Amino acid sequence: MNDMSRTESALDTQTNKITARGVQVHYGANHALRDVNVDILDKTVTAFIGPSGCGKSTFLRCLNRMNDTITGCRVSGEIKMDGRDIYDARIDPVQLRAKVGMVFQKPNPFPKSIYENVAYGPKIHGLTTNKAEMDEIVEKSLRRAALWNEAKDRLDSPGTGLSGGQQQRLCIARAIATSPEVLLMDEPCSALDPIATAQIEELIDELRSQFSVVIVTHSMQQAARVSQKTAFFHLGNLVEYDATATIFSNPKDPRTESYITGRIG
Amino acid sequence: MSEVSGDWATPHAKANLSRRRRSELLLKGAGFGAISVAFLMLFILLSSLISTGWQAFTQTHVAVDFVVSADLVKPEKIEGGNYRVIVKEAMAAAVPGAAGPGAEGLKPKELTGILSDAAQFRLRDLVVADPGLIGQTVTMVVPVSDPYDQLNKGLIDRATPEANRRLSDAQIAAFDVLVAEGRVTKPFNWAILGNADSRFPELAGLRGALVGSFYALLTCFVLAFPIGIGAAIYLEEFAPKNRTSDFIEININNLAAVPSVVFGLLALAVFLGWFGMPRSAPFVGGLTLALMTLPTIIIATRGALKAVPPSIREAALGVGASKQQVVIHHVLPLAMPGVMTGAIIGLARALGEAAPLLLIGMNAFITEAASTPFDAATSLPTQILIWADSTERGFVSRTSAAVLVLLGFLLIMNAIAIFLRSKYERRW
Repeated sequence: MNDMSRTESALDTQTNKITARGVQVHYGANHALRDVNVDILDKTVTAFIGPSGCGKSTFLRCLNRMNDTITGCRVSGEIKMDGRDIYDARIDPVQLRAKVGMVFQKPNPFPKSIYENVAYGPKIHGLTTNKAEMDEIVEKSLRRAALWNEAKDRLDSPGTGLSGGQQQRLCIARAIATSPEVLLMDEPCSALDPIATAQIEELIDELRSQFSVVIVTHSMQQAARVSQKTAFFHLGNLVEYDATATIFSNPKDPRTESYITGRIG
Repeated sequence: MSEVSGDWATPHAKANLSRRRRSELLLKGAGFGAISVAFLMLFILLSSLISTGWQAFTQTHVAVDFVVSADLVKPEKIEGGNYRVIVKEAMAAAVPGAAGPGAEGLKPKELTGILSDAAQFRLRDLVVADPGLIGQTVTMVVPVSDPYDQLNKGLIDRATPEANRRLSDAQIAAFDVLVAEGRVTKPFNWAILGNADSRFPELAGLRGALVGSFYALLTCFVLAFPIGIGAAIYLEEFAPKNRTSDFIEININNLAAVPSVVFGLLALAVFLGWFGMPRSAPFVGGLTLALMTLPTIIIATRGALKAVPPSIREAALGVGASKQQVVIHHVLPLAMPGVMTGAIIGLARALGEAAPLLLIGMNAFITEAASTPFDAATSLPTQILIWADSTERGFVSRTSAAVLVLLGFLLIMNAIAIFLRSKYERRW
């Protein structure tokens, strides 16, 4: 916990990466998210916590417009990244998702080789056509995802042949291969054992130096361990958003307190 | 603990348990019975086909010495030689009038009737190819005509009274002479695969039908496969889900259930009637079969696309792939085994389909294999119908043999489908 003080002091100097104002999400007739206002800081780990169905994953998926692919889903309000409205008609979600990478709950590598998994994003975005450069991107991404040492001798073997924790790190490598500015993680450790979880958490902490990381988690311990800022969602509302230490030691809202002490959720 | 075991043994619990066991036994028994009946039917079908059909895979031949005299075949007019007389003389020499007891009263015409009609033409072709044979004696193995083939295969009972038999005692005696001289053999009947249709069973073969079916299936595949996959991809991945797409979906499912003869009527009216396409052409047959196979392929492809886990789509979308890239790079390759399986099963159905082809005239009597998809041809199922309708006894076993050939092809296609599915299918 001694690094908590360090991160707290660093908070003030950081700038907003994403600002969300009055975000509402409807799934058909279901009002899933009500009036969410959040500033997500650059080079910070922000955790979204809350009971199941509270809208935290929904909000996360608003940030890279993955909700666009769900029929019947409507998003209103304003979400700006670096001052640009990401729901602007002139913004193509395809480009947005290169800047806002995503890691999913269940490891979902493509049933292709490890190399192709990582190289896929850079390839479709045309980041390089040069084989040597691509090799470099793949190596760098795998190194940052702490998978290089395990995978370097088997880059051509299928990504689906890796263990669960390795697969999730491969998915992280795939997400960061396009050099995104924000990395969204939707319960990235829920399918992993404690050892793999610890590796991923360590990785998240390292990734913070380059990216703004937003992580949805069901584990409050995990939120406390990895994040600097925490947002608590409940029944589609953003109840409280503050520094992680404040949320866990001195929550303002009684609902937050009930949740983190285990009385609701 | 003793109370618990007491509970287990109460009359109510016992009765309940035995009732449950009884109904389970009943269900198992019914299932086993159903499978047994199905296997029995299959066994009866196959054994009846094989027991009548196997005879068609051999054909009785007889070796005859033909004397190609220069009197009958003029070197300057080889094609116009009198080969009929050569055959007649050869048969008269092979079965000398006095040789067999009872064969004396046989007319020369009846003697040549032992041989297939093709004998004189084969001899002519042989001499045309090699004029050096003129003036020599040529020993050629020729198929015997159908009644003698039946006799040699034991399908004509010698004990039947002569009046009820297709061969007279004298004819049988003459054939027995040939057998006694060791001239008669019964090799594999290559004609059934290598020849086209013929009025004479001993010459009839499936080549025309095989070629016709091949062209029809090729046309069907080339059309139905890409169109079916394209339609399925659009409906499954791109089409908005609304009333129109629901309507289209319902109608595709309905089309798959439309009797095939209706597609034949449609083809007759549209392809032949309006567009004036050639009759009996495998290309038109293929178009018709494509209409019929299309819904099957669309439904199979949609099923295969649906079966690709959403996590793969999300993964691809998450790294910024466009919808088209998600489909082409990830979803379609994963769905391909299912698509191929569906397509092959659809084609197998098309291969066995006779009704629509009857309506466009692919049941004509055609003695030459088609050389292009636009020539007249038959298909395997329509050829089976033609042969089943023929009166010559030899076509009975040939019909069964043709069914066996068709079943063989269907079996191969289904085996390919199973192989593709087990080899390339991925599980999550």
